Amino acid sequence: MAKMKKLVVLLLVATIVVFSLAACSSSKPAGDDSSNQQTNGDNTGSNNEQTSESEKEVEKPSEIRFMIDGTFLLPDNGQEYLVKAFEEKTGIKLIVNQPAHNEYYEKVNLAFATEEIPDVVLLSGSHYLNYAMQGALYDITELYENSEVKNRIVDQAIVDAVRVNGRLYGLPKERGNGTVTYVRGDWLKKLGIDIPKNYNEFIDMLRKFANEDPDGNGKKDTIPLTAAGLINSEFPMDIYLREFYQTATPDFVQKDGKWVDGMTEPEMKEALKRLQDAYQEGLIDKEIVTNKTSTCRDKFYSGKVGVFNYWAGQWNENLIVNLTANVPEAEVTPIPAIEETYYIERAPVPLCITTAAKNPEGIFKYFFEYMLDSGEGQTLFTHGIEGITYEMKDGKMVKLPSIQNPDVPFNKMFIAGELSITDYQDPYEYSEPIVNSLKIFREKAVQYSLFPTSETLTQLLPELNSIKSQIVAKIVVDNYDIDQGLEEYKKLAKDYVDAILADLNK
Amino acid sequence: MALLVVSMLIPLMKVLSDSFDRSTTYGINLWPQNPSIVAYKTIFSAKALYRPLLISFLTTASGTFLGLLFSTLGAYVLIQKDLIGRRFFAFFIFFTMIFSGGLVPTYLVIKNLGMTNTLWAVILPPSLNVYNMFLMKNFFEQIPESLFESASIDGASPMIVFARIVLPLSLPALASIGLFFGVQFWNDFFNYVIYITNTDLYNFQVKLRELILSEQNLTDPSIVGFGNSVRNAAIIVAMIPPMIIYPFCQRYFITGITMGAVKE
Amino acid sequence: MQELNKRKKVWNKIKKDKFYYLMFLPVFVMTIIFNYIPMFGIRYAFYKFTPFKKEFIGLDNFKNIFFGINSQRFWLAFKNTIILSLSNLILGIIASVVLALLLNEVYNKKIRGAIQTIVYLPHFLSWVVTASIFTIILSPQGGFINSILEAMGKEPIYFLTSEKWWRPIFLLIYRWKETGWGTIIYLAAMTSINPQLYEAAEIDGAGRWRQTIYITIPALMPTILVVFVLNLGKVLNIFESVFVLYNSMVHNVADVIETFTYRIGMQQADYGLGTAIGLFKSLIAMILVLITNKVSQKVRGSDIL
Repeated sequence: MAKMKKLVVLLLVATIVVFSLAACSSSKPAGDDSSNQQTNGDNTGSNNEQTSESEKEVEKPSEIRFMIDGTFLLPDNGQEYLVKAFEEKTGIKLIVNQPAHNEYYEKVNLAFATEEIPDVVLLSGSHYLNYAMQGALYDITELYENSEVKNRIVDQAIVDAVRVNGRLYGLPKERGNGTVTYVRGDWLKKLGIDIPKNYNEFIDMLRKFANEDPDGNGKKDTIPLTAAGLINSEFPMDIYLREFYQTATPDFVQKDGKWVDGMTEPEMKEALKRLQDAYQEGLIDKEIVTNKTSTCRDKFYSGKVGVFNYWAGQWNENLIVNLTANVPEAEVTPIPAIEETYYIERAPVPLCITTAAKNPEGIFKYFFEYMLDSGEGQTLFTHGIEGITYEMKDGKMVKLPSIQNPDVPFNKMFIAGELSITDYQDPYEYSEPIVNSLKIFREKAVQYSLFPTSETLTQLLPELNSIKSQIVAKIVVDNYDIDQGLEEYKKLAKDYVDAILADLNK
Repeated sequence: MALLVVSMLIPLMKVLSDSFDRSTTYGINLWPQNPSIVAYKTIFSAKALYRPLLISFLTTASGTFLGLLFSTLGAYVLIQKDLIGRRFFAFFIFFTMIFSGGLVPTYLVIKNLGMTNTLWAVILPPSLNVYNMFLMKNFFEQIPESLFESASIDGASPMIVFARIVLPLSLPALASIGLFFGVQFWNDFFNYVIYITNTDLYNFQVKLRELILSEQNLTDPSIVGFGNSVRNAAIIVAMIPPMIIYPFCQRYFITGITMGAVKE
Repeated sequence: MQELNKRKKVWNKIKKDKFYYLMFLPVFVMTIIFNYIPMFGIRYAFYKFTPFKKEFIGLDNFKNIFFGINSQRFWLAFKNTIILSLSNLILGIIASVVLALLLNEVYNKKIRGAIQTIVYLPHFLSWVVTASIFTIILSPQGGFINSILEAMGKEPIYFLTSEKWWRPIFLLIYRWKETGWGTIIYLAAMTSINPQLYEAAEIDGAGRWRQTIYITIPALMPTILVVFVLNLGKVLNIFESVFVLYNSMVHNVADVIETFTYRIGMQQADYGLGTAIGLFKSLIAMILVLITNKVSQKVRGSDIL
């Protein structure tokens, strides 16, 4: 009987729950139809009349709804201090919405689709373009041109990289950065090799790494060079393996003002030949096609890899720390781009004001300009708060232990100081590997802009890119005849290429 | 059989060994090269993980309970052969397994119910699991019909039959489907990410992912992480609760059967 | 009059069964709220529906998928999905049933418990981790399998990029991960087999093998069929396992609908196109289930569900 009673109670609870739910639901879940008219339409420049009388007082927003990915300080790592300090300094409440990093764009899309649009949102590459194109982002061109920030930006090319038909829909918080080629410095010394300056020397170096037992274990088991894939899955597809691609690219490029498919240009054929020869000779990781970035890192850390092209800056230090844990005498040396090629600096990731924001001028002035003020604000968003994340000792900045993991020093709030785009005099002294790898990278890096987008492009590019990587892998790994491979490519890709070129050259 | 067990174990040993390895290695290592428990220390000293752990236990327990409640109720009604509308109900339920409205409409319903940012959003909708309900129904159908008949002759109401006959006779089914529910709720992170923005309500899996991501992130060089060992340690830690629960469920897969007795 | 009588009879029956309806009510209401109301969203298959606009476009999404420039790659993915998913489903049931039968033959409770725990553990590894482990095991540069091949004087094989090997390897890895977990349902089902059947068989002189064939397997049949049909309903949803083991060299044998959708959707949040592909998958799944159910009706004389 006791059992029976329990069951009745249970059922009752269940029914109550269900009924209360049903009652709520009668308040009608059909809000999806009243959907977004206001984000639609052309609002480029509509609000810009006021800013021309720029002396007019800009109203300060009382709060800003801010949607941001994992690059912003996590709650567990002391996000509240940053929010509090920002409010103390500016009087603005920052309402942070920080979805889990992997699902960030899923959540951003969902937020826009369901009318929960934030005031400020971080959007990378194709997302940024797509959102700008659809009129979801506020045009900040005039605000930027008339602002103080503009004078503080050291290189306008960085900002120009995110212009869409000359208009700005977002402001970068830091440089896009790029990858540099890291070489095992200790192997170079051991085998008596100089840092390679051109392709022939580079290949010679790989050959020696392959054949002269640089790790000294008596076995021929080193991987001269590793990479995650022969071709990047999106623009720029040739960001890694710079020594092999050189001036060729599988992307669409502009030649004499006209767009062409880089895949079928003559220099691509040479690049494929270089890749094929090197792979067949065993100078490139056999598993390049199945490597993930994390696999490459693990292989590099385990001390088996000679050359690895990866992010400049902070990652140089990470590579050293993890590699020397296994191979204490190891050195990680970033090398300048060889004669035939250059490194690629990606377009930066812009912070955008949405068209749903009520006071875009205020947000720009009191949030964006403050964050990039080359002073107090930038210090706050880079290094945090004195006494909590850093302290000053003899005029030098020392990082305090991280809140989340006290074994390591605090890293950064939001902006990576070493990638600053303003003339900010950074009080912090970055470690030698960070400074050095960035210097070597920037010596010969080309700032890339965003690849254009359109409805046709977003529909067709992913599949075309997948065809490209299929063909390149076949040629390089299966030693397929290059001309034949490219013929096959032309057949498979013809419809795609025609449609895309027609769209680009419009 | 032994070979099979070994082949299952080796990859798991690698994860275990890597979780104790301070250095990152590549390859199958069954013993750490630089033994260290720093990864486990990192996880267990992260105070930020205690609350999510509690939330995981709470949602797993209540979700499993509700899940079993709904699937047994549903299944019990669906086995009533002469019930008017039975076939319709069965189809009505099964249809939702195949057709769904998609993420945005579902999100809007949950939002309009005021369930976003509450644990209801991660407990209630997933506790209605068509797959498990039909498995349960299949088990209920194995109960000899004579038992039902004698009960109805005694004049027992459907609820009493349900509580007195069906449930006690279905312990193996409850154990196995309870296990399915438990693991489903324990491993869930997607619903949390979608429906919950208040990070105080995140569960253990979401937090573990966050912790691991700081190392795994592929495109952002500025995120510096804890190293590979933490990722592997996190996998091990997340496995522990199901491993503790499993033997309890396993008991029910054996007690019902008298094969051992038959043999001797 | 007769009509009225009949109606009354029906009504009486319903009244008599009122408790059943009451018990079903929570499930019914929840299903309506969480599943049927959102189903209005299926209409977006006929919309251009992005975070920024919602516009009726008729059959354009379907035209786009079935006949557009991407259609060739879509149908390839469709074919691969059917092949991979169905073989995985059938192999999965066979492997799990066999393993469950084997486990049932282990009489030592402790050993049996230990084995059971071990074989079900891989289920808890995510696909990402599983893929990374197997990539190492199958590596052509010093991987475990290839070391054995080389010791036997054979050429190493780059399994994961080989069009010939990829599917078998994929199915094998899937079995490694899920077979143990799959046994749970059959082990639970075996507990309801009447022990007297075995006793009788023993007396008739039937050996273990014959007992398995004539008693255990027939007793498991309803469960096997239910598992088969339920999974058939989800057969086109295969994604993560393929995604982590996929690479461009095996595109022709490995690309499935979900990976195709993922690539297309990565750049644009086109919910409309996604819903259209989803609807197509649902219809195919529904047809497969209905056919199976019809066959079952013919052969066994009863529905599966």
